[in-house]
Amino acid sequence: MGNCLKAVSSSNDDISLLREATSIPRESSSSSEQLGPPPSYQETVNQPSSLPVYYPSPNVSRPASQLTEEEQIKIAQRMGLIQHLPTGEFDGSKKNKECAICMGDFTIGDPIRFLPCMHIYHTECIDDWLMRSFTCPSCMEPVDAALLSSYQTD
Amino acid sequence: MAEPVPGISAIPDESNARYFHVVVAGPEGSPFEGGVFKLELFLPEEYPMSAPKVRFMTKIYHPNIDKLGRICLDILKDKWSPALQIRTVLLSIQALLSAPNPDDPLANDVAEQWKINEGEAIKTAREWTRLYAMSG
Repeated sequence: MGNCLKAVSSSNDDISLLREATSIPRESSSSSEQLGPPPSYQETVNQPSSLPVYYPSPNVSRPASQLTEEEQIKIAQRMGLIQHLPTGEFDGSKKNKECAICMGDFTIGDPIRFLPCMHIYHTECIDDWLMRSFTCPSCMEPVDAALLSSYQTD
Repeated sequence: MAEPVPGISAIPDESNARYFHVVVAGPEGSPFEGGVFKLELFLPEEYPMSAPKVRFMTKIYHPNIDKLGRICLDILKDKWSPALQIRTVLLSIQALLSAPNPDDPLANDVAEQWKINEGEAIKTAREWTRLYAMSG
């Protein structure tokens, strides 16, 4: 590993994960009324705290503006891959009765997500984790490897 | 913890439920045997998405624990999983006391000593256990 000598920075913990980025400014300038150029890109310099925070790895949190290009790609891939993992509602038929992340019992109708290793979690719980690490919390199987090699969801 | 683990206790702080006072007994057969080691464990806001912060408060001579009590343990860093619990973390720390790993050091001088002369290092670890972890 050799990662232990590095200082692990863990600051601002309390910002939600997937908040939407700031929207495009709507108001058109007064001089060009209808056929003017599209509104120019605005950088939101004033509110760094409102930027979404991402987790390139579980112990590293960074505002969207400070991600390296490599990290941006990683995050975008994760967001895409999560959408390919099947979801459903807990119907009581699974052996697994407890979400290993929140340690709460599943109740009938809870939204759940299935990983390729067949472990299930509350959708909300596992999505939060998958945005940080694409591994199954229970068996540590890399989720994307399983997704890409064999596309079995049943 | 629902089922108590032999040799480990974790009691939440009276004023901060995220902060735990932990005591780990030195495992039998290790140079830490007979010692009682105090640790602090803090659950960050992000827990269980990020690992608890754990630190030895009792001085210990161990290649993976530095003089500030910080612990080099993969599950506290890049191998963290939200399915791990306080219980499993403390069991891993107890296991680390039984199996020091000088090839993945945090305290470089201790690890060096452990590799050059393991017998001497174990003697020092026993001595430190007697000096710092047996005062009661």
